[in-house]
Amino acid sequence: MRKFLAVVKREYFKVVWTKVFLITTFLAPVGMLAVSLMPLLMFSIKGNAVRVAVVEENGKIFQRLQENLSPEKQVEKFKRSTAESVKNLNASQDEKLKQTAEQFGGSFQLEQISPAGKTTEQIQNELLQRIADKDLDAYLIVPADFDAKDAKFEFYSRNASDFISKTAIEEGLNDAIRLERLAKANISEEKLKEINQKVNFSVKSIDKSGSVKEGNDWGFGIAFGLAFMLYITITLYGSVVMGAVVEEKETKIAEILFSSAKPFELMMGKLVGVCLSGLTQVAIWTFSALAILTYGAVMAGSLGIPKEFPSITPLFIVYFFLFFLAGFFLYSTIYALIGSMVTTTQEGGQFVIFTVIVLMAGLYSVVPIVRDPNSTFSLIASLTPFVSPVSMPARIFIESPPLWQILLSLGLNVLAICGLVWAAARAYRVGMLMYGKKATIPEVWKWIRTS
Amino acid sequence: MSEQPITLRVENVTKRYGDFTAVDNISFEVKAGRIFGFLGPNGAGKTTTIRMIVSITAPDEGKIELFGQKMSSELQDKIGYLPEERGLYKKMKIQEQLRYFAALKDVPQKEADKRIDFWLDRMGLSEWKLKKANDLSKGMSQKIQFIAAVLHEPDLIILDEPFSGLDPVNVETLLEVIAELKKKGKTIIFSTHLMETAERLCDDIILINKSRKVLGGKLREVKESFGKNLIALRCSGGEKVLEDKSLVEKVTEHADEKELVLAPNADTQILLKKLIENGAVISKFEQIEPSLNDIFIEQVKEKNA
Repeated sequence: MRKFLAVVKREYFKVVWTKVFLITTFLAPVGMLAVSLMPLLMFSIKGNAVRVAVVEENGKIFQRLQENLSPEKQVEKFKRSTAESVKNLNASQDEKLKQTAEQFGGSFQLEQISPAGKTTEQIQNELLQRIADKDLDAYLIVPADFDAKDAKFEFYSRNASDFISKTAIEEGLNDAIRLERLAKANISEEKLKEINQKVNFSVKSIDKSGSVKEGNDWGFGIAFGLAFMLYITITLYGSVVMGAVVEEKETKIAEILFSSAKPFELMMGKLVGVCLSGLTQVAIWTFSALAILTYGAVMAGSLGIPKEFPSITPLFIVYFFLFFLAGFFLYSTIYALIGSMVTTTQEGGQFVIFTVIVLMAGLYSVVPIVRDPNSTFSLIASLTPFVSPVSMPARIFIESPPLWQILLSLGLNVLAICGLVWAAARAYRVGMLMYGKKATIPEVWKWIRTS
Repeated sequence: MSEQPITLRVENVTKRYGDFTAVDNISFEVKAGRIFGFLGPNGAGKTTTIRMIVSITAPDEGKIELFGQKMSSELQDKIGYLPEERGLYKKMKIQEQLRYFAALKDVPQKEADKRIDFWLDRMGLSEWKLKKANDLSKGMSQKIQFIAAVLHEPDLIILDEPFSGLDPVNVETLLEVIAELKKKGKTIIFSTHLMETAERLCDDIILINKSRKVLGGKLREVKESFGKNLIALRCSGGEKVLEDKSLVEKVTEHADEKELVLAPNADTQILLKKLIENGAVISKFEQIEPSLNDIFIEQVKEKNA
């Protein structure tokens, strides 16, 4: 046990006490924060209001366009596009939302130009001159037959790549024309809203005891989150595990090690040490991510964006963590096994794709589980090592499987880890004794059986 | 010498890798407090045998006993091993590495630190304590590895080619240290293909070639068993006697003397007498032992032929 701990300690500090670790650990959250705040910052850099001249005979469209592009209207549109829960907002939230809408939708200063006997060409020349004088940013020509099927609206802008303004004007124009058409057909705007009203589709789920609870579609999200976390940590740390194994073979230290401790102790210690260092980093990231998310949620709340979180119990968090650990260790042992079979890390890189494939299989197994968590498939998938670290938490989230199944699933993963470490340790020892050439799979199998 | 306890007993040990027999039915004993030379050409099976002794691999047949117990990983802490293929963690500080190796041999860190200081001082490497292995020269890292092999004060020390790559000054230091360890009652197995060093150091030897034991025993006795038929001769005259095939099998001319191989069953005294009778003026007539090197080459050639 003391030897095992010595190995754990060395492997842990070897990774943690390096500049690279410090830099990646503390700069990555800063980087992530910067990336997530970047769009917000960029969009909040707002130019002046876009000055648009609308060339139109009678001003009908101008009126409607002006209305549609007003901040009040934009807020209303935003509300319509989001869930119903935004309905009840207090005044200050409403005000904030308006500001947000202005930020993201752009603001406009419209001006009506009536041809007044001038030809289109004359007007265009005038407007072009004004644009050249920087007195105007864009102009829109509304055709006389604006509600005809093939009516052509022309928008000339100094800056045609300002997609935000372009989209806002196009949408405003569309709405304006539609309203005009509706008015002609004698249908009021209110009537239209009524017709377009979506049905209220409320999902409740019934659990085993027969009681009804609010339904959720977070099962796949949870599984995806777990698979993603596993994927990230494994891609980051799998190669570290592999490198640690390969280093000792390359530098020939392995021979001293094997003359001092049991291969299983050495391999397990290495795995635990590297995994703990990985967990240290992931923990730091998780906490900073949580901090950012909380901050984001508070911000979103103050902006009036609804917060809807699934109901998560502390027990579920424990399960989530346990299965994450099981998955992390299990996949890392695959890397240890690969490392024990190859002579250089580069060589090992070729095998890495297999772990990703297995992980993906676990992720996709979640779809049938979410659809029927009690099927035989779901039972098998949530008990099979390699797949279960992803599928079992999803199943736990959707319905509560019997405790023995959860424990069995964890136990099988632990057994798989031990079995793989044992195999890796043997392959490692024999691989060291005949270094210099890459082993074939049948050879490795022979080592594991006979050494 | 039966009063000395036996540290290591290797009995009819065989190890195969697939169709290749790396070690074929080898037996020997290593007595406590002695230096045992494990000799043989490259590829003879020395390293494979040592790996079985330190329990890195297990023999397919036969048994290995250390201090009267069957060898197992629990007994590993009683052995110090300097492998032929040496390595250190490149980016780890010397002190850290030695601490780690000591911990793997179950030495508490406080005790380990004391011994590390002692040994670095003894090897003249104190100022390298906080340097990384990358900064060390080959000879230095070899001395560090030697320290790693003795830090846990093992009773049996196995050194596989310990002098290869060392300059004469360091060879001398290491020889002194080995002598000190022997004085403290440690048993040392020392594998080499350099016969001169073996001759200088070893009490007992075993010579293996092509996976098999060729000969073994006390160095003195081994040499004596080969040493009765060689004569160094410096003389003038008496050439006729040297041509007598019933007396002399072979004459090798050196710069100012001759080396004679006696014919089987020939007697040195009769040869000397005949030389004098034939008027030879003798300035040197010495019965010499063959060097270990000669024995080695002769035995290996013979077996390979």
